[in-house]
Amino acid sequence: MLMRIGRAMRRDWQLYALLFPAVVLIFIFCYLPMYGVQIAFRDFKAAFGIAGSRWVGLKNFADFFNSYYAPRLLLNTFLLNAFGLLCSFPIPIVMAILLNSLEWRRFKRFTQTAIYAPHFISPVVMIGMLYLFLSPNSGLVNKLLGLLGRNEIYFMSEVSWFRTLFIGSDIWQHAGWNTIIYIAALTAIDPELYEAATMDGAGKVQKIRYIDAPHLAPIIVILLILNCGAMLSSNTDKAWLMQTPGNIPASDIIGVYVYRMGMRQGQFSYVAAINLLINAINFVMIITVNGIAKRTGVTGLF
Amino acid sequence: MARKSGFSRTRGDRAFDALNLAVWIVVLAVVLYPLWLIVIASFSSAEAIYGGKVLLWPVDFSAIGYEAVFQHKLLLRSYLNALLYTIAGSSLSVIVTMMAAYALSRKFAGKKFLNGYFVFSMLFTAGLIPQFLINRQLGLYDTVTLMIIINCVSVWNLMIARTYISSSIPGELYEAAVIDGADHFVYFSRVVLPLSGTIIAVLCVYYGVARWNDYFTAYIYIRDPNKLPLQTVLRDIIASANAGTSLDAFMDFFGDGKTISNAVRKAEVVKYCCIVISTAPVIALYVYMQKFFVKGVTIGSLKG
Repeated sequence: MLMRIGRAMRRDWQLYALLFPAVVLIFIFCYLPMYGVQIAFRDFKAAFGIAGSRWVGLKNFADFFNSYYAPRLLLNTFLLNAFGLLCSFPIPIVMAILLNSLEWRRFKRFTQTAIYAPHFISPVVMIGMLYLFLSPNSGLVNKLLGLLGRNEIYFMSEVSWFRTLFIGSDIWQHAGWNTIIYIAALTAIDPELYEAATMDGAGKVQKIRYIDAPHLAPIIVILLILNCGAMLSSNTDKAWLMQTPGNIPASDIIGVYVYRMGMRQGQFSYVAAINLLINAINFVMIITVNGIAKRTGVTGLF
Repeated sequence: MARKSGFSRTRGDRAFDALNLAVWIVVLAVVLYPLWLIVIASFSSAEAIYGGKVLLWPVDFSAIGYEAVFQHKLLLRSYLNALLYTIAGSSLSVIVTMMAAYALSRKFAGKKFLNGYFVFSMLFTAGLIPQFLINRQLGLYDTVTLMIIINCVSVWNLMIARTYISSSIPGELYEAAVIDGADHFVYFSRVVLPLSGTIIAVLCVYYGVARWNDYFTAYIYIRDPNKLPLQTVLRDIIASANAGTSLDAFMDFFGDGKTISNAVRKAEVVKYCCIVISTAPVIALYVYMQKFFVKGVTIGSLKG
């Protein structure tokens, strides 16, 4: 055994050398912190260090489940993801099909370039745009409402507007970008199929129905399944930017709560426990959905 | 895709095309108008913005917002910091990722284990607090080093690059090179890298944009205002519930000092200018690189 390892090392040491920096960086930033996960079971005090703090078992987990916040946080996180998936999943599919059947080449190219662009806008700028456009004093949206004789709406501090704005801005930013994978699938279709369909007298709508749709179906199924594995994940940086005292009842999702209670209020052990629990659930879910995706016959994510 | 054939299009097809075109004109308006609005507002006067007059073109054309931006020391400093973090960080990322991606595209003992090592790190994370505590213990808190090396390797990008290398560079090339006496280092630097232009462009855009757009890392790890990157500083100016309070104070100082409300109004223009100067480089990079990377992305993702 040792000899075999020795021989492999001699033969392929250059490959290991090429991997070395990546392995080290991942180790420092992903695996080393796992040592710190034990504070979820301790009462962490900086003075005693990670391993020196008092062991409290599952107390932090129990505290979370007994708190008023637990159901609200879980529900908010789930609803934001579920509504998000429901609203934003179909749009790129429709866009890809329509884009694929556009006739004017240059217009098509221009459109493609344009709809990918918002994907590259930072969350800070995206939310900054929302604050500016929706401002009750100077924002264009409220000016228009004023012209229609309506009172101004304080969009950013309304509980009822939070999810709409969060998901709406996500769609505006990423729907175009998310067409890429479908467009790639449509481009791979053999042009002869369309020609044969034309010979048989098929119109465009029929081609979409009988050629495009069946070709997209497997990818749609896979992506849908995989997306279902992310129902408790948090887009923390964006939600944190959007959180205002007014919309907390809807905008408090797990990632934001972890940040606020941990980094702002220093309850390290308590939030480490919440985070560990959610990460474990997410891990199990993604493994499960990936298994399901693989069983549908097409390759999974990894 | 060209699907023109000798057959004349039916009436149904023409109706479909017209409808399709109409849909795209609406979509383009929805996508582009907010971006255009930002640009024209940044060149307009505060009064025009407050009056709701800025709709299609700049009103009372002025560059006063940009003048103010270029006198905002913290903002300029953070711009340079962001450039440093982005350029240094993503160069390192691209090099490290390409090296590892090449290695993973070859056969060697322990490959399965290393694959698992990378994928697991993507699927299960320790969480914010343990990461913070460990990085602080390593002495990385509030350092430029952390801003450059954290999140250096994205496993997702690594997988895309590996797939690209193993699917688009023929294996015979390696055998031929070995016969000519090349080892992995030589083959990687003389053959693989020159043939990987597309995927390197993709990685540059992905890593570069992610760095440039990240505000959260510095928000957690950086105390010293002189080390803050642009997005973190921008957050206080444009994207929080009390956005612009620091800016109002600055504008009060900078402004003609008539009234505070005057300064507040002017601060509104400055916000639009901030968006323009922070987003323009990213969009420019995207438009410049887009030809390469739409191709690269699809290769990496489809054959994965």
